[in-house]
Amino acid sequence: MKNRIGVYICHCGGNISDYVDVEKVRQAVEHEEGVVLSKTSMFACSDSNQNEMVNDIKEFGLDGVIVASCSPKLHLTTFRNVTERGDLNKYTYVHANIREQGSWAHSDDTDGATEKAIHLVKAAIAKSRYAEPLYTNQFEAEKTIAVIGGGIAGLKAAISLSDKKSTVILIEKNDKIGGHTAEWGDLFMSDEKGNELINRIYSDLAQRENVTILTGAEVASSKGSIGNFTLKIRKRPNNESDPMEIMEVNVGSVVVATGFDHYVPQKGEFDYMINDNIITLPEFKQLVDKSTGNRLVYKGKEINNIAYIYCVGSRQEDGENTYCSRFCCTSVIHTAIVAKKKFKNINNIHLNRGIRTYGKQELLYSESLELGDIYLQFDYNNPPQIATEGKKTVVTVKDILSAGKELTLETDLIVLVTGMVPRADQSIGTMFKLPKGRDKFFNEIHMKLRPVETVIDGITIAGACQGPKNISESVNSALSAATKSYSYISKGTLETEPIVAEINQDLCVWCGKCQEACPFDAIEKQEVNGKPIAIVNTSVCKGCGMCAPICPEDAINLIGYTSEEIMSMIDVLA
Amino acid sequence: MNKDKRIIDYDALVIGAGIAGGETALNLANNGYKVLLVEKDRSIGGKMILLSKVFPTLDCAACITTPKVSEIARHKNITIFTESEVTNITKNVENKFTAQITKKPRYVHVEDCTACQLCEKVCPVNVRDQYQFGLIGRKAAFIPFSIANPKAAAIDIENCTLCGACEKVCPTHCIDFTMETEYYELHAKTVIMATGFNLFDPLEMPRYGYNQYKNVITSMQMEREIAPTRPYNTILRPGDGKVPDKIAYVLCVGSRDKTVGNPICSQVCCMYSIKQAQLLMGALPMADVTIYYINIRSFGKGFEEFYQQAKGMGVNFIKGKIAKITEKENGNLILRYEDINEGVLKEAEHDMVVLSVGAKSNPTAKTIFDNGTLKFDQLNFIAQSDLMESPSKTNIDGVFVAGTASGPMDIPDSILSAGSASSEAISYLIQNELA
Repeated sequence: MKNRIGVYICHCGGNISDYVDVEKVRQAVEHEEGVVLSKTSMFACSDSNQNEMVNDIKEFGLDGVIVASCSPKLHLTTFRNVTERGDLNKYTYVHANIREQGSWAHSDDTDGATEKAIHLVKAAIAKSRYAEPLYTNQFEAEKTIAVIGGGIAGLKAAISLSDKKSTVILIEKNDKIGGHTAEWGDLFMSDEKGNELINRIYSDLAQRENVTILTGAEVASSKGSIGNFTLKIRKRPNNESDPMEIMEVNVGSVVVATGFDHYVPQKGEFDYMINDNIITLPEFKQLVDKSTGNRLVYKGKEINNIAYIYCVGSRQEDGENTYCSRFCCTSVIHTAIVAKKKFKNINNIHLNRGIRTYGKQELLYSESLELGDIYLQFDYNNPPQIATEGKKTVVTVKDILSAGKELTLETDLIVLVTGMVPRADQSIGTMFKLPKGRDKFFNEIHMKLRPVETVIDGITIAGACQGPKNISESVNSALSAATKSYSYISKGTLETEPIVAEINQDLCVWCGKCQEACPFDAIEKQEVNGKPIAIVNTSVCKGCGMCAPICPEDAINLIGYTSEEIMSMIDVLA
Repeated sequence: MNKDKRIIDYDALVIGAGIAGGETALNLANNGYKVLLVEKDRSIGGKMILLSKVFPTLDCAACITTPKVSEIARHKNITIFTESEVTNITKNVENKFTAQITKKPRYVHVEDCTACQLCEKVCPVNVRDQYQFGLIGRKAAFIPFSIANPKAAAIDIENCTLCGACEKVCPTHCIDFTMETEYYELHAKTVIMATGFNLFDPLEMPRYGYNQYKNVITSMQMEREIAPTRPYNTILRPGDGKVPDKIAYVLCVGSRDKTVGNPICSQVCCMYSIKQAQLLMGALPMADVTIYYINIRSFGKGFEEFYQQAKGMGVNFIKGKIAKITEKENGNLILRYEDINEGVLKEAEHDMVVLSVGAKSNPTAKTIFDNGTLKFDQLNFIAQSDLMESPSKTNIDGVFVAGTASGPMDIPDSILSAGSASSEAISYLIQNELA
């Protein structure tokens, strides 16, 4: 049992100390059994405090360390590493969360927040007394990396990994690679067309010996975890009469680059599919790109007046897609300019909800204004109304920019500026158990600082599957994901996490309840000494603890969170 | 020129230790490359480490930056030079870069300083604290800010009177006025430019009265007022120390404005202003906060929802560009603007005005390469030679750009850009068998 425990209580620069009296917490725990050192710190995570902790561990001969600060999601690893630098086993470190569970949750009750913080720190001390050193094992990691999705993000991730001499398997569901980028004609800030860009990248990729490109292929299942995933891939045969090709590949890491779907308006949404003169942004881009001659013709009719209705399927204040799709303002303004330059007598009228040509894209908006495009702005609750009058399509809009004046426009074509939505096919996300945000795009570990890593070790997310992005933003995201995926396994070895479930083989009678409870498929039934029992696959087990309380025989212990430790914590909290 | 020039060798040179440079250095170092990270300021962490909270998560910036900074500082493959400048980079025939580095003296031996602050107490010199954006003063012997890294005293030699008081009081004798500028010649295989951006200087727009009216501050000053390590421990207006209750934000100050030579959108001001407005509503529940805007650009992940949340909290949004600000005798300010929704000219009184200043290119970036070999765009951001296919590539093979050095961007985009630049740099090292 530990009896030289050091306790550090963090102010978090006011995030905690504005509501929790940290000095009072320190005084309340300084004489607890086994505590030999207690300190407060402005920022426990700062470099200077970390160094002080390392010195304290050595100087006071600490055998247990506790930091009471923010969520362990932020800093458990930070302080485990500090403990290790002080030559203690890092798993003896115990974390107390007095910010998310203390000061922030009870900002209306400073006394209560302080009282709760004291209890939480005392519970951490109780756990610390029993915390045993734990050890990791090294295992060999598979150095091949799978990239799922052959759009611009997947292609660039594959190139980047191939450049780093990793073996890459690129898996694309469709028969052709290139994703949405290959659909595009002219691109903003580039002399290349979308399909030319894709061809340039593809012709490079196709020559590479360390890249296998599987088109018409889908990942059917995944087993294992970081360093050793086994993916079962189903590939459509070249000959339709042949059976599906099934193959298994072993990879160390996976880059998910499954992209987005275009928002498709419902029938009748802005008269879509009711009035023939109404098309979506992708349809319009195709039309402008494919049309030759000096007049824009749609369905046999010359197009002169085009109205663009923005934010269709995006920024729905009372709908499902509350987010902004980010790329559409620039994309439609660019296409409108291309149309105006390419064809005669084009008048562009943009019915928008505030133009979002952020950064240098603003120059495009300026150009559009100089070319005489007209911008009218409407409110979400007062959308443009479309009416068909003979052969003419008439739009009525209450324009915010002219003090709410109602304007009526005769148009030849209406373009619904549709945004990005998450893929309808969510199978990859479901298979890897990737968390999704409120917007249903895949969620990163941390929105600010870790935008391509996910909570599933070894899986990174690239491009628009994480949220709407334009091409260069997708490429940046793809290259970042490639770097992270490469970093996971470039050394060739990984460490196992020692915090896993442990089955007491004598007590286990195999009822199967733990297997049902396990979200990671880490528990299997096996015969040991003639008796069926549960066996934990420690390389897959995440130590989540779902199995432990469900076991009717109490045969499961979570290493690092043993019943002894948890009960001692509960005793203090009760 | 300098006989004492030391020659040093690294795989990668990363210029600028803000969040983009730091992330780039970490990615390279984690893959085994030796990195020299050069920062011209006294601390690493760039602008992010000085922020209050970040949008849209409202994470405390210090809480998420300090561990990152600490990881960078402690990494065995990263060497950091603070207070240092890089010039005269050239590329030789063997694909190697040579750079001249000037490391200015700190007059403090960082490894011996315990940050006890005794020198700060005895120093008789008071100057404006640039790390608090001039809101308060600091001494000439000082610790840059509480979460600076390295956390060690520094002597501001330009303002120091050489009285020697700090030297006498220092318990570890780490203050040393005999320190001199050090000169290095660096050989590196790849260079990553992470030179960041400069904030727009509102003095260029006299009609907003910055520096003339005391209660007109910049968004960076407000950022400090609401940061955990804030100078006043509460929010007040600098003119008379009154707690403000009617605060205005003026957006697009120095952005989307050809008259000040910056026609582009700075990409972050809408969101940081909305964030500050939310934090102010929390800190001063009775205060009115009004944001005057042209367009709200909440385009990133979770941003639109964050904007709607601010509206729900009661932040006022008025579509209209502020034409002019005048000051009343009591220090309050009159804002003249066209209310676009109503189509009329209006005036409104506020007791404090925050100018949401934009991002401009950092002119220092132009002084780093020899003879203009590195290309810049018309706004003096580093030019991206293949924006669609490889956004971090520049016109020089082996030189990459990370973060806001190529144009305005927010923190996640800077991180992605840094990931992209480090990816290209690693590929470059491997492909050219320079590793």
